Amino acid sequence: MRKIRKDEIWAYVFIMVPLCTFTIFTLYPVVSAAVTSFQEYKPMGSTWVGLENFKNTLTNDLFYKALKNTFVYSIVTVPLSMFLSFSISIMILPFKKRIQSLFKACYYLPSIASGVALSFVWKWIYDPLPSGLLNSVLRVFGIENQNWLGSGKTAMASLIIMAVFAGLGQNIIIYIAALLGVDATYYEAADIDGAGFFQKVRYIVWPMVKPTTVFLAITGIINGFQSFQNAYLMTGGGPDNETTMAGLLIFNRAFKYFEYGEACAQALLLAAIIAVLAIFQFRLNSADVEY
Amino acid sequence: MKRKTLRNILTTTLLMAMVISGCGSQQSAEAPASQDDAAREVQSVASEEAQGQEQAASGEKDVVTALLPPVSGTYQDKLNAWVEEFNAENQNIEIQVTTASWEDMTQKLDVQVNAGSPPDIAFIGYDGITKYLDSGMLVDIGDYLDESQLGDFDENVLNYFRNGDGLYGLPAYCEVQCIGGNRQFLEDAGIDWQSVQQNGWTYDEFREAIQKGVVMDGDTVKTYGFVFACSGVTAKDYFSIFVKNAGMPAAFDEDLKYAYTSTKMLDFLTDLRALIDDGSMPKELSAIDAGKRWNMMLTGQTMITGKGLSSFEKSAADNNALLESGDPNAVEDSIELDYIVLPVPVFDGGEQNAYGAVDGYICLTGEKDPDETHLKNVASVAYYLASGARAAETCQELYLKPVCESGRTAYEELTPIENKNEDNTKAVELLTEQIAPARSDIPADLGAEAIQIEDEVIVPKFQGLLAGEVSPEDMYQAIVDAAYDAFGEEGCVQD
Amino acid sequence: MGLFRKYHGKQKYKGILRNCIIGIVLLAIAVVTLFPIYYMIISSFGAPTEAGGASYSLFPRTFTLASYRFFFDYSIYSVRWILNSLIVASSVTVCNVIFASLAGYAFAKLRFPGCNFFFFMLLVAMMIPYQVTQVPLYILMANTLHLQDTYVALIAPTLVTCYNVFLAKQFFTSLPTSIIESAKIEGCSQPGIVMKIVMPLSKTILSVMAITTFLGEWNTFFWPFLICNTEKMQTIQVGLKNFSFANTTYFAPMMAGATVSALPMFILFFALQKYFLEGVTVGAVKG
Repeated sequence: MRKIRKDEIWAYVFIMVPLCTFTIFTLYPVVSAAVTSFQEYKPMGSTWVGLENFKNTLTNDLFYKALKNTFVYSIVTVPLSMFLSFSISIMILPFKKRIQSLFKACYYLPSIASGVALSFVWKWIYDPLPSGLLNSVLRVFGIENQNWLGSGKTAMASLIIMAVFAGLGQNIIIYIAALLGVDATYYEAADIDGAGFFQKVRYIVWPMVKPTTVFLAITGIINGFQSFQNAYLMTGGGPDNETTMAGLLIFNRAFKYFEYGEACAQALLLAAIIAVLAIFQFRLNSADVEY
Repeated sequence: MKRKTLRNILTTTLLMAMVISGCGSQQSAEAPASQDDAAREVQSVASEEAQGQEQAASGEKDVVTALLPPVSGTYQDKLNAWVEEFNAENQNIEIQVTTASWEDMTQKLDVQVNAGSPPDIAFIGYDGITKYLDSGMLVDIGDYLDESQLGDFDENVLNYFRNGDGLYGLPAYCEVQCIGGNRQFLEDAGIDWQSVQQNGWTYDEFREAIQKGVVMDGDTVKTYGFVFACSGVTAKDYFSIFVKNAGMPAAFDEDLKYAYTSTKMLDFLTDLRALIDDGSMPKELSAIDAGKRWNMMLTGQTMITGKGLSSFEKSAADNNALLESGDPNAVEDSIELDYIVLPVPVFDGGEQNAYGAVDGYICLTGEKDPDETHLKNVASVAYYLASGARAAETCQELYLKPVCESGRTAYEELTPIENKNEDNTKAVELLTEQIAPARSDIPADLGAEAIQIEDEVIVPKFQGLLAGEVSPEDMYQAIVDAAYDAFGEEGCVQD
Repeated sequence: MGLFRKYHGKQKYKGILRNCIIGIVLLAIAVVTLFPIYYMIISSFGAPTEAGGASYSLFPRTFTLASYRFFFDYSIYSVRWILNSLIVASSVTVCNVIFASLAGYAFAKLRFPGCNFFFFMLLVAMMIPYQVTQVPLYILMANTLHLQDTYVALIAPTLVTCYNVFLAKQFFTSLPTSIIESAKIEGCSQPGIVMKIVMPLSKTILSVMAITTFLGEWNTFFWPFLICNTEKMQTIQVGLKNFSFANTTYFAPMMAGATVSALPMFILFFALQKYFLEGVTVGAVKG
């Protein structure tokens, strides 16, 4: 009994610092935002409006359209990015360590060019005229010129491709870390049983990296649902609101129209949806992962 | 194993100590990294001390904070000298400036306003007035400036910073946003650009002209007649600049009825779509950004471009100079470009109303009971920045004429720009006279509703229209629906 | 490596063939991902002119270091910005690695009352979009605590991120509980277990955490920009953005600055790569 109590004390000591920073810098702002969602916010003194902000949000057609777009965006981006990074991580494994680290550098380091260089490059890639990079490449295969970011048919797909590439490097190094954590003895045992490559992936690798997969899926969904930068910079939500996402809507509410109370209400609703999705994912993977 | 652990712990402790000292006191973390840096550090400390003594001598200084963007190419460099000059002349006031790029500055300002602690002075476009007014933080500086200071500014331009009876800022300049052409191409297409500069042109004349400007190379277009930057949020520029000449100079008419529900809007949208269907504008227009279209202009892929600012003449001239000297830094594949300022065509039922981007210095306060003396100081700083040599130098760099008398006086004393195209100068002066009248009578809440319709309905639908995925009729209907929702049928123009 | 089949003797060519195919696929993807960085570097060798905005050419057309000089001459604080970034990013990284792994271990392997509650709170906090939390955070830091222009304000909000606690927790979950149990039986205290068993077994993930945290902090723009008003306290990303102008941009110097600011990342990455590739050898520890 005494031993267990000691462990508990250590546990509290271990989570002390994160919990303190969390309370001051995350919980306090979150609670404050939650309070604001029931107010008409004015920096010089707010008034209580009850559920007004929530009512406005839930009767706004654009909010639903934005939610739908956000949903499509995350539901496609997250699995696609995870599948790609999982496959790439596995493909890197048969090589010598030196080559492995070279590839890792190739995939991860470009994320340091993020921002400045990246936005120029993507604009060039999606240049709608025949001189654009992607259009030039596709012409070789006989595919017609596309108006990537300008057309409602391709705008969302273009943003998704961007997001998948942007998240690839980080996912790959996290997956590789997890893959290297799989003990070689498991493979030896499987070899003795005569298991093939795909069987090993299915029955050893996949279950062993499941906690990592859950982590990537949940943080991916969270990022996807909050995504805003790309749509803001590349399409401004258009054409015809096809790429307007919840994050953009919240940003506009808070800073373009100064309706900060309603922005908080929208943010809380969004967080609730993310939470439901996250719980759903935990349940889906609950076989051997507990939270 | 044990030694390793010990080492780990030691390293950790050391790092922790570093972190804590880094966190705990700014001074200790300011340990200079190199000799060079150390020297700078000493210098800056010395100057701070000097300032401190000065302060002690002259009593408490009133600090005025300002958040400013790079208004013109060398604005931020000159700014330091201006601030020093002001601080030296006014012993009781000290200006503290924070500079940032346009977009970043706006975002910072927005967070600070929402947090209730804005800077004293910020630089924004006049269209932001309603938004900041609504937050209750704008200061009516009319009371803190004397008649001669207010009278210094051109009346109409100053009115852009009015709302109701209040004056919330001072204009730094009025930048005409229009379109611009390539002189050689215009002449090749037989367009009398000098006449257009003086007399303007109708939509039909314009449509015909840009059709003549198209140059084909086999099946592909080598040169388009007209390209406007429309990607993302810039689609708004195309709409707002052109709609002024379509009989709707503002979102509300004189009776404060919402104007965009007029059938003139439908005609206007149909006309704009026709330019793309003619093949005079690229069908990919909806995704061409500002950088791309300027690149197209420099490389001869279009005859006319928008939006056009008079300072583009300088960009073009700079590139011409590089081309002439054979410098490989000239834009790849670019040709010599003689930039010609052109007015926006006038649509049926409209008249010439140039779009003026009036930007300037607004004054804010986060205090409930602000100190009167402080506000007076803030107003005098704003006037200092917006007038005299400051206005003259900023405007000259933007190829504009100052909008205040003291600025124009100072402008005369500046060295004139070399090889300035006089036709352009005259055209810009004419357009500046044709700037749409300021609408300080539109109440803030109506203005805010209109902005929201513009952002959530007009701009997205307009992007769809340009992409050929939304018909003019559908877009018009969407505007009407949204407007009826916001203002009621009787609050909208019906014709 | 046990995942891939080992071919011996006559069949060896099969293995080589397989590796070649995989290698080509990987190289093709690498070309795509490396493109932005290639573009950034070649563009930085252009001259610091304002003329044409971005250059869209695949190959460098000029080679000059003038843009680098321009970047360092642009402000007397250019060096200072890099130094600020270094101070902030390294402090945040060290704190995150230490505290996030301790907390991650507690959540993954220790049972204590409120364990699930606290963890779920951390998760939910991640789900609130930052657009709405940044205003109260700014009010707290600027209006209440008056911490503008200090390192504390730059470092404190990300001292330990929920993301890293979650990452550590997920990774530690897959460590066999049996080693921890046996260490406990041998009389090892909890801090001892973390130091001697968990940390050494998790070098891979800890180095991943270190580099992603460092990178994230290094690239953060908005918060440092918001909380710092003087040029002296700006970080490199904030300073870099000052090159972007309304209609024109000092394109080449901006890219030069981006290249300079990327260098520490390269160094950190290659310094840590030894740990990246160190597999977890649970067996060895056990034996």
